[in-house]
Amino acid sequence: MSTTPPTSAPTAAPSAPAPATVTLTIDGQTVTVPKGTTILEAAKTIGTKVPHYCYHPGLSSPAMCRLCLVEVEGAPKPQPGCVTTVADNQVVRTVSDKALGNRQGVLEFYLVNHPLDCPICDMSGECDLQNYVHAEGREHGRGVEPKRVFGRDDFGGDVLFYGDRCVMCTRCVRFMSEVEKDERLTVVERGNRSVIDTFFDEGLDGTHWSGNIVDICPVGALVSKAFLHKARAWDLEHTPSVCASCSQGCNVELHTRDNVVQRVKPRENLDVNGWWMCDYGRADYEWMNEGDRIEAPLVRQADGSSKAVAWKEALGGLLARAKELQGRPVKAVVSARASNEDLGALAELVGALGGGEIVYRSPRSAEEIVLQGFPTLARRKDLAPNVKGAELLGMHRVGADDATGGLDKVRAHDGIVVVLGDALADQDERFGASAALYVYVGTQLPVAARAAHVVLPVTTHAEQEGTFTNHAGRVQRFWPALTAPGMARPAWLVLGALVGELSGEAVPRTAADAYAALAEAVPAFGGLAYPKLGARGALPMISGAAVSSGAKGA
Amino acid sequence: MSGRSKGAPFKNPGWAGNTGEFDLSEAQVRGDDFVGERPKHGGHASGAGTLPYMLADKEPEARLFEGEYQQRFEKILTRYPTKRAALLPTLGLAQEIRGHVNPETMDRVAELLELSPAYVRGVTTFYTMYNKAPVGRYLVQVCTNISCNLCGADEVLATFLRYTDTELGETSEDGNFTVIEAECLAACGFPTCVQINSRYYENVTPADVQKIVEQLKKVGD
Repeated sequence: MSTTPPTSAPTAAPSAPAPATVTLTIDGQTVTVPKGTTILEAAKTIGTKVPHYCYHPGLSSPAMCRLCLVEVEGAPKPQPGCVTTVADNQVVRTVSDKALGNRQGVLEFYLVNHPLDCPICDMSGECDLQNYVHAEGREHGRGVEPKRVFGRDDFGGDVLFYGDRCVMCTRCVRFMSEVEKDERLTVVERGNRSVIDTFFDEGLDGTHWSGNIVDICPVGALVSKAFLHKARAWDLEHTPSVCASCSQGCNVELHTRDNVVQRVKPRENLDVNGWWMCDYGRADYEWMNEGDRIEAPLVRQADGSSKAVAWKEALGGLLARAKELQGRPVKAVVSARASNEDLGALAELVGALGGGEIVYRSPRSAEEIVLQGFPTLARRKDLAPNVKGAELLGMHRVGADDATGGLDKVRAHDGIVVVLGDALADQDERFGASAALYVYVGTQLPVAARAAHVVLPVTTHAEQEGTFTNHAGRVQRFWPALTAPGMARPAWLVLGALVGELSGEAVPRTAADAYAALAEAVPAFGGLAYPKLGARGALPMISGAAVSSGAKGA
Repeated sequence: MSGRSKGAPFKNPGWAGNTGEFDLSEAQVRGDDFVGERPKHGGHASGAGTLPYMLADKEPEARLFEGEYQQRFEKILTRYPTKRAALLPTLGLAQEIRGHVNPETMDRVAELLELSPAYVRGVTTFYTMYNKAPVGRYLVQVCTNISCNLCGADEVLATFLRYTDTELGETSEDGNFTVIEAECLAACGFPTCVQINSRYYENVTPADVQKIVEQLKKVGD
């Protein structure tokens, strides 16, 4: 053991062990990539996208769509770029006459049975067949034969199958067998008659990740029922966000049109969710579009009625009352759906008012649903996105697993009561009735806010900038996708303004300021700032032990 | 030719007689079970002029993999490194028992081999030699692959459907014929090739179909 390292190390260096990188030429450009990279992935690094259907980075490559065939100098036949690994001094041409001619021919075959029903197809505008044919296909079809017809099939869940549009790439079959590991889909029949199907009427019911097959379908064969005929792809605006359905923190995109979230799609992040997301998160977006929102600050009048007032008036009155009561113990209830910035601002406010107790309630499911082929991704037990953030800020959990109960002390509190986020669904109108000052900061008006002296309208995470801390402590940013209704403002801005007036500190102007203030105040968020987080988030720059001890101390 | 009585096993008359070319008895060629009367039109002992064997009657609801079949299934499993690899012979065994492989059979096979039912369905439907429903006494497989297709296989297929009075994949009312499309039958030199049970009819044109069907019908009745 002790003899080999010193003697072998110097001799091994000159004889050059297998090089870790390979240099080749793609379309005249020299590329250096790690050994074992496929031509298709190597081409990606210089911005050359080789058309393909069956290849997906998260799945195995059967090399069966024949679209990624590229010309490799010295090879007798074109090589499939998705499985051919690079070699030193290889000369690859992806746009030569031969490669283009091959793609044109293959694409013509793809259109033999394709119905070309783009005007009524949901995929139109983001369809790989449409794009490739438009870019490199023949101008006119030559087929005169009748096309075979399958019609459509309801696969259950959110998935609808249009067999005629299918290009038989089998990405969906491979996703179900390799990633979800529930082999529900298969290719039935062969040749011209082959079609994707389940076991007769079995369908996809009972699967938890099958919505992903709609995302990876390169054409309009698999479409979402919830999104069916709702919007055209080119009308949608894509906003990067984080799924708020559980504490996994899947990176998603909110696709909006006319200030309405139309659908949620996963966003690639290999550290969190790969290319995937669960069906629950995917379906959990209608609440962002709800119309019954608080649109103006409401102040309770002497006769018990509420009056909508301007922000200045609401905050001015609130400050005056808060200063009178400063020093009275505060009890606050928060929702774990609020961002780190919002929760941080609330913690500061409670501190500025003289300190108190902050609790949160969050629903928990009985078990995790793990994606078998990507085990770091699961639908976590905590069904709120920022439970970890609340814990790091010293807030603690009360109530049952369905987010009810546990608020008896807050209900009967006679000091200051602050509620952040819509966390009072199970409470009645007597909640906070005995409080000296009851401030409700939320998006919707439940009966439990009836006793509130001041109601402040805030935005949902879809309407503001901010961050969530996922179950592993990763801080991830989201961006505003919707315009907030009426006078609703982010909670960190509203609460930050109050803190500024009470303590004389600077009021945060942006979410980045709010996060910077938080990172300074709470070591668990330290070492990070918005530019460092980027679009895919980061773990706090402290040791894991510090994170867990911080959580334990809280 | 004797009429077919219920209960008594039907004897297939496919033996053309010893033409002197081979020194084999009728029983050796046909097996005891299938020895029948010599057809009047004669033919060649080796197969060229003979009529196809008729498919044995199977009980479509027969219990799967019991008794002798249970032992055979277990023996199949010993021949392969994994259960998945035993899928094709297991499906073959199921078809031997029931004469076809229906959804219920696929589900049972999937359970026995620890596979997903969908996967078993995919495999079963890929191979045209697994019947997806009970078939008639004569399974007419018309090759519609490239060579045959270029030489008019679609026309031959349509003519077979007309004379047997069936839909593609269905069984005629008298229980005699099931007509299906087949992938390449490896007789591309003799298009259109039609396989009826174990016998090839080569160079079939639409004009030949009526004669073939009537000949078979006469025997089957």
